Amino acid sequence: MRMSTKQRLGDAGTYLAYLVVCLFFAGPLLWLISLSIRTAAEVYVSDIRLWPQNPTLDNYFSVLGNQLFPRYLWNGLLLSVAGAFGAMLFATPAAYALSRFEFPAKRPVMIGILAFQMISPLVIMVPLYRYMDRIGLTDSHFGASMLYIAVAAPLFTWMLKGFIDGIPRSLEEAAMIDGCTRFGAFLRVIMPLSLPGLTSAFVLNAILGWSQFIIPFILLSKPALQPIAVGIFNFQGTYNTTSTQVLAAASVLSIVPAIVTFLVLQRFIIGALTAGAVKG
Amino acid sequence: MTEGVATANAALRTRRRPRWRISEHPYIWVAPLTLLLLATYVYPAVEVVRFSFTNATLLNPEYEYTLRSYQALQRNTSLGGLLWITFLFVFASVVFQLLLGLLIALALNRGVNRNLPGVSVVRIVILSSWIVPGVAAGIVWQLIFSEASYGFLNSLLRDVGLPPVKWLSRPDIAIWSAVIANIWRGTAFSMILLYAGLVIIPKSLYEAAAVDGASAWRQFWYVTLPQLRPILLINTILISIFTLNTFDLILALTGGGPGRATEVLSLYAYNLVFRNFDLANGSVIAVVLLAISVVFTFFYIRLLPKENET
Repeated sequence: MRMSTKQRLGDAGTYLAYLVVCLFFAGPLLWLISLSIRTAAEVYVSDIRLWPQNPTLDNYFSVLGNQLFPRYLWNGLLLSVAGAFGAMLFATPAAYALSRFEFPAKRPVMIGILAFQMISPLVIMVPLYRYMDRIGLTDSHFGASMLYIAVAAPLFTWMLKGFIDGIPRSLEEAAMIDGCTRFGAFLRVIMPLSLPGLTSAFVLNAILGWSQFIIPFILLSKPALQPIAVGIFNFQGTYNTTSTQVLAAASVLSIVPAIVTFLVLQRFIIGALTAGAVKG
Repeated sequence: MTEGVATANAALRTRRRPRWRISEHPYIWVAPLTLLLLATYVYPAVEVVRFSFTNATLLNPEYEYTLRSYQALQRNTSLGGLLWITFLFVFASVVFQLLLGLLIALALNRGVNRNLPGVSVVRIVILSSWIVPGVAAGIVWQLIFSEASYGFLNSLLRDVGLPPVKWLSRPDIAIWSAVIANIWRGTAFSMILLYAGLVIIPKSLYEAAAVDGASAWRQFWYVTLPQLRPILLINTILISIFTLNTFDLILALTGGGPGRATEVLSLYAYNLVFRNFDLANGSVIAVVLLAISVVFTFFYIRLLPKENET
């Protein structure tokens, strides 16, 4: 009986910890949402009321009615999907080879993939900007996409290699005995079986691309080309203090797509994310 | 008979591994990725080092080689302050993200083991903060720290009768505000890694410790921590680099201010190159950032388990 009291106390302590943690992590987002559904007058009411007296969605309509804002959202989607898709094209064959072949350059390539993830995009943008400017790749979605791809490709390869490692070799060997070439076995056996791994790597990299700031901030100076992360930053710079509630609504709109996507697919993503670091 | 099988096997093997097939060459498979990484990482890394030895600017295509930028670095009186702020930001963020991440991972692990309802909700709440784009996180925390009437923390203080705090306008406080915002955004990553590390600790170790009469605290100290050690080290290195490279959060939260109180190295490099168009001096700072990353990466690679090839 003593044990069960002790465990119940432990449970109570655990829930207390959960409560504190949730307050710290959810609190700021709830405050943001609270500000985003207030009228201008109520933003300045100085008591803490999470649910405003006159909740309104006007701020959201005013953000979405803004000429540029829907564009920012669209550009953000376009660049993050282009980056994840391009990274997939580069990463998939490489991940396959790193999983299935033995070759002298294998370890250097693996180390390179890890090491390049550590380099800040800012560092590579410093010299690259000069060249991209000269060949007309600044202020172009194509040029920006190339860098989104470069940033996503190492993580994509790492995650996918971990996944392909888990697919038994006997399956593709059987296909090759039956007359498939290696490429055929890759296309018909490995690709379909990798679909869960491909999906999680794609989604995680698309979400990270949605948050990408430095690359578009440096490369894209035309507002009509900028993605949402840069859009709300510019918005923050130009809004006046009487429209805090509109800035809050804009921020909510920049966060929601990423969080919803993540929630829907989180089981997938977390498993794939930890596989590389914990295994072994 | 054996000979016949051997011949058949050999025939099969030649059919199975047709050497002339282009798809049997591993380099064909890794070539696209390798070329991409060479063009977008190796080449720029070499270039940034080269530019650091010139007097190049973004405005003038002409430049010549000189050590002036490095000499200027030595004379740069604000450099000490920048390095100190960067160190403070990285060190405090890493320590608190690790501690908080570990505590949360332990609490989640206990909840899962005890089948407590609501654990997945808690996990989702924490992960949400990690998904928030850095700029948005900066804006969110600016609204929390704001000294206007809609600032959450000062409203809270006012309600309990305490004087307001200048979260973002006093230099010695602003850096800690930035640290808090970064802890909020980064802790989830440590939590995921450490939780995954906790789950794979064999239950038998705890059972053996319990049989020996070890208290919960001793079990944590002598079983959990030693078992987590490799992941704790890898985690430390990864979040140190992530924090060192943090740029968007600080830019949106404080813009580096008040004054230069929250101007970390990456922000300084950005300001030099893209505000002052001073490619040479900015490259020097980028080289410093690169060098720090290389050192961390070196330790990271040494820590990773060697793959057992099959």
